[in-house]
Amino acid sequence: MSEFWNPYVQPSPRMRRQLALLSVGAVLLLWSALSGFGVVGPNRLPAPWDVLSAFGYLFWHNGESMLAEATLWSVGRMLAAGVLVVLIGIPIGVAMGASPRINAALSPLVDPFRSAPVVALLPILVMWLGIDEAMKIAFLFIGAVVYLIPMVRDAIQAVPQSHWIGARDLGATPWECIRQAVLPMAMPRIADALIVAVSVMWTYITVAEYVNARVGLGQLIQNARRFSAWDQVFAGIIVIIVLALVTYQLMRYFKARLFPWETHQ
Amino acid sequence: MSETTHPSVPATTSAPSEHAVSLTLNQVVQDYPAPGGGVTRVIGGVDLNFERPGINMLLGPSGSGKSTLLNMMGGVRPLNVKTPTSGTISIDGQPCHGPHDDAVMVFQRYANRPDLSVYDNIAFPFRFKLWRERVPEKEWRARVEHMLDAVGLADKKALHPAQLSGGQNQRVALARALVLQPRILLMDEPFGALDAQTREEMQHLLIKLYRERPCLIVFVTHDVTEALMLGDRVVVLSTQPANVADDFTIHAPRPRSLDWQRSPEAVELSERILEKLHRVSPGKGSLRVTV
Repeated sequence: MSEFWNPYVQPSPRMRRQLALLSVGAVLLLWSALSGFGVVGPNRLPAPWDVLSAFGYLFWHNGESMLAEATLWSVGRMLAAGVLVVLIGIPIGVAMGASPRINAALSPLVDPFRSAPVVALLPILVMWLGIDEAMKIAFLFIGAVVYLIPMVRDAIQAVPQSHWIGARDLGATPWECIRQAVLPMAMPRIADALIVAVSVMWTYITVAEYVNARVGLGQLIQNARRFSAWDQVFAGIIVIIVLALVTYQLMRYFKARLFPWETHQ
Repeated sequence: MSETTHPSVPATTSAPSEHAVSLTLNQVVQDYPAPGGGVTRVIGGVDLNFERPGINMLLGPSGSGKSTLLNMMGGVRPLNVKTPTSGTISIDGQPCHGPHDDAVMVFQRYANRPDLSVYDNIAFPFRFKLWRERVPEKEWRARVEHMLDAVGLADKKALHPAQLSGGQNQRVALARALVLQPRILLMDEPFGALDAQTREEMQHLLIKLYRERPCLIVFVTHDVTEALMLGDRVVVLSTQPANVADDFTIHAPRPRSLDWQRSPEAVELSERILEKLHRVSPGKGSLRVTV
């Protein structure tokens, strides 16, 4: 037990798995007990087995999969927004990081939104872009890009000046210094920024699909709520959490593969 | 924003290595704004003239402004320092302002790219338009291969900096500078962070590389022994403000043995340096003597 209160000693992977299973199992057990013994009624807390059967129903019913369709639509919207985030957000962030003047000009437009209620923009987006796909993608884009841009800027600024000076001394133009010396060094942190941006989009997907979505994970939850089908609401939420977790782990994996040098620097 | 004036240099890449070169400092002064107003004079009117290929040691106590002086020669200005406050630095009689491509620097903290292999680190300058236009690909590839051999890293060219020791990393940095075949090589305490044995290896390597292709080297150090082991000429700098306190040549052939280090000549020079510095700036900064 001497290693219990020691932040520098990791338990074995096996022990970590066991501890994780233990805590998740305990919650499941408590949840089962609360609904199994009728402590909390099904209108407030659906039983785990009801959620499981709701999941089955959503996954396959009458020869079609509502869940797969909804997931595809939601992922499609996120992909569209994600492409925009990469194409617009990363160049802006890099420019702000590389030039303090651009940063001075743009940061008052970008930084306040990090702590601003982006959700409150939804009615405005509806007013400007209508209630179709453009509005949903724009909302996801804004929600993610206001996190991404400052992180990309910080990633550029965190690159040690020695790389810039070294390249400059070797005769590189300022742009070559950024492109060939600073940007490559910032890439791992830019990848981190992208991972955060995607996580943020997962949290906003239900909000984006709040208005007039005919299909999507957010819509699926909305719809179930309207009919008080709490088991389906729970199933939908769990699906989103699992998908977000899987994308996160996948992106982490690819990042480690792309920048193996970062870990042992 | 536009400080990209690289003085036009003849496009001949295979200039003779004995090519005449001169680096002249004329009354160079550097002031830094002092905390709480006023200015601190870091460099106080330095006159120096380097006229031919050779290893010139710039020896001074830590914090003496010798690195600042070297950065000024290289036209590198970190931290938005205007260089110099007054006076001129000229190369071949041409005053230089800002970065120029006659001189290449080797820093103590080798700025090797962790994501690039040893080969790509040495070939790094050829990613820039300036050198791509000047050196055809076939030639620079041959030069990189040659440098890999010369610094003894031919069998490690596919490795990455994290897989190398500190000395090997500094070899990469040295090779990256020399692959450009510079007429002037500026070295800022390049071996200062290495252990004693590795430092000696690197000194021998530098002597070997210099023989192969002599150029004008200005080598900053605070190590008296290093200055005596390497220098054709030793310029001793006082501290705060930096000024030339002493300036002498050493004729003993290199590499200089341990026996030479203990010879009356070397001992006398070493004492002369310490005595001069003690008189000019007592109790400021520190020097290293490794025997």
